[in-house]
Amino acid sequence: MTLITIPQFPEYNVSITLFKDVTNSKVIRSHIADSKIAFLDAKLIVSTEQVYSAIYKALIENKYNRLRTKTILSECLFCLSPTSNIGDAFKKFGIKDDSKNVICLKVLSNGESLDDVNKEVLDVVDGTMIEFNDDNLKDMYDVTLVRKIYKLEKDFQPATTTELSRALVNAIQIRGL
Amino acid sequence: MVNLNTIKPKNNRNYYLALGLEGSANKLGVGILKHPILPSHESGDNSHHCQAEILSNIRDTYITPPGEGFLPRDTARHHRNWCVRLIKRALEEAGINDPRNDIDVICFTKGPGMGAPLHSVVIAARTCSLMWGVDLVGVNHCVGHIEMGREITQAINPVVLYVSGGNTQVIAYSENRYRIFGETLDIAIGNCLDRFARTLKIPNAPSPGYNIEQLANKCKNKDQLVELPYTVKGMDLSMSGILAYIDSLAKDLFKGNKKNKILFDQKTGEQKVTVEDLCYSLQENLFAMLVEITERAMAHVNASQVLIVGGVGCNVRLQEMMGQMCKDRANGQVHATDERFCIDNGVMIAQAGLLQYRMGDVVKDLKETVVTQKFRTDEVYVSWRE
Amino acid sequence: MSQEIVDEVAKYLTSNIPIVPISQGAEAVVFTTTIHPYIPSSNNEKKEKFIIKYRPTKKYRHPLIDKSLTKHRTLSESRILSKLYQIDGIKVPKLIACDPYNGCIWLEFLGEDLPNGFGFSNLKNFLWMNAKDPYNDCVKDTLYKVGQQIGLLHWNDYCHGDLTSSNIVLVKDEDYGTNWIPHLIDFGLGSTSSLVEDKGVDLYVLERAIISTHSSFADKYNEWLIQGFSDVYKSKGKQGNKKLNEVLKRFAEVRLRGRKRSMIG
Repeated sequence: MTLITIPQFPEYNVSITLFKDVTNSKVIRSHIADSKIAFLDAKLIVSTEQVYSAIYKALIENKYNRLRTKTILSECLFCLSPTSNIGDAFKKFGIKDDSKNVICLKVLSNGESLDDVNKEVLDVVDGTMIEFNDDNLKDMYDVTLVRKIYKLEKDFQPATTTELSRALVNAIQIRGL
Repeated sequence: MVNLNTIKPKNNRNYYLALGLEGSANKLGVGILKHPILPSHESGDNSHHCQAEILSNIRDTYITPPGEGFLPRDTARHHRNWCVRLIKRALEEAGINDPRNDIDVICFTKGPGMGAPLHSVVIAARTCSLMWGVDLVGVNHCVGHIEMGREITQAINPVVLYVSGGNTQVIAYSENRYRIFGETLDIAIGNCLDRFARTLKIPNAPSPGYNIEQLANKCKNKDQLVELPYTVKGMDLSMSGILAYIDSLAKDLFKGNKKNKILFDQKTGEQKVTVEDLCYSLQENLFAMLVEITERAMAHVNASQVLIVGGVGCNVRLQEMMGQMCKDRANGQVHATDERFCIDNGVMIAQAGLLQYRMGDVVKDLKETVVTQKFRTDEVYVSWRE
Repeated sequence: MSQEIVDEVAKYLTSNIPIVPISQGAEAVVFTTTIHPYIPSSNNEKKEKFIIKYRPTKKYRHPLIDKSLTKHRTLSESRILSKLYQIDGIKVPKLIACDPYNGCIWLEFLGEDLPNGFGFSNLKNFLWMNAKDPYNDCVKDTLYKVGQQIGLLHWNDYCHGDLTSSNIVLVKDEDYGTNWIPHLIDFGLGSTSSLVEDKGVDLYVLERAIISTHSSFADKYNEWLIQGFSDVYKSKGKQGNKKLNEVLKRFAEVRLRGRKRSMIG
């Protein structure tokens, strides 16, 4: 489990957990509406940087009262998307019935410890918790799908995941502007 | 090493006297300037600090009726009519009885400017020179503005914003030239304002730009702005599109074209924008662009001083905006002069000309006195600076 | 830089992000920091630096003009950088973060300090550093490559809008120690445009910047730049040659307009 704080917004702590071999995605999805956790399908996640950059963006939107969704958490999910269609973003980046690799995001509330979140997440997800890092993510993403969703230029042929990730970060940062 | 004292003044005096004649546009200016000999000028660049004394500075402006610009032929006739009278008055005011003995040099505007007016003034300069046996020096009009501005404000090495009826340039000195860093890609700022004043049919006296400034001051709704194109291109800018657009707005306003959504409320048909609002918006937009390109040049050459010269430089709002910009830069300073020196005048030609003269640059053959419409600021070799 | 602006930025970024001011351009102030805006600092082992480019409120201009310009330029710069990143061969800094509400963007840090106190490795300082031997091979190679960068930019229908020798940063080529790779920076006035006029003006602005800043050697320098520029177009076959002629023709026209302008005093 990773805890991330954006330097510019120290009042917010976001926990990120990565699971592989998840077996109960369908059940998780059915409870998603009243969950305090956001579940992402790792298929479109290329790097940790990509997720961090969306969290940064969501907190900027929050700070200047520009949230397009209801909570910071849902905004994080929305901010991963390169387009401004909220429903579409949730559908594409959120957990699906057959998701195998899942990323859980949670904005910690006051007094909540990392252990509490850990317990909460483990309660919900049936799968193997592994470290949220670039190494683990690199086997989970679907490059064709990523290219399609992020509308990358045909001629853009990144040699490395870092280069690909950079293009996604760009798309995230300039979305909807 | 610059030495401004190698050429001695006439009759072993300890000062120089220069007569300056300017007539490149619709202003005819005659000025007489005195430079004392200073030890500080023997070695090193002190050309911004001549302790110049203005003995006379007389100007007569050719003013056309509202809605009309000045044509070269009529302007030239004006200059011919007034030139002798102005020179006589200038000499009298300066207390010079014997120009043969007292004047060291006659300085005239060689260009750039309108051909016919330049021509009528140079004829006067040549005549005086032959009549009195006094040396001639041809001066670049823009350099005249710059040198006068430096002398008056004591700005040592400023970025110069030169804004007038025919010119819009951002200039900085380097390696013996005043180099143009940015300029208009089409029409000059003063031209833009003058032409808009013509569309509005407001008086040309004392100057169209001044009257636009006064109207802009009267704008009642300064929180609002009529949106105009903002056309900065690097350190250059373009203004013809803005003029065409605001001209069309003004015409719609006069015609009462209610279909124009910017000018009239589409539901009530009420007029939303006044002539004052248009003047205000035009000034705000154009001056923001001018200040921006000036700041770009400052950043590029690492300068902290700005000097505003040229007729539009008298505009108080422009000076105010430039001041605000400088306040936000380290050691930023803005220098501007008032209408006596901003607007074309004879003294500025005398100042630049006298510097040239003191460096030994005089007309040796009358052939060299041919005036020219085209004369770029960076063509002049600035020998009096390091 | 005025302290007021530094304070304004420091307050916006909070004390968690220490900043070092490096320059004040006309529209933006630029800082460096070692804190990444969102990647945890424990990952920054190489002590990498980042650029923060902040467009402060310009009090001199009307608030409405200021707001719209700041937003427009922050966005358009971010967008252009993002697009250019995906074009093969074009070298621009990587965009890290963008906050259009405050006119703030984060960029990858490029360049280094030149030896002997010649300052930061932009083209301007580099050319000054070489003033004693102004036509050496390294200068030629570098200017040729700058020309290529602009060629690529224009070929892909982008214009820079503010090409000067300070807006070109040189990065040491890691493979060939003495060579420099020019990167284009500062796209605040950039645009997408297929108009030959915009391209012609772009080239004219650069030519004039070279003439005014590096006057004594400008002819040769501009020649090398245009060589690099032209070779990009020429490599694109017949269509490339045709477009090249159009751009160069307009460039000459824009230049001529510049000369004509001095007609009226």
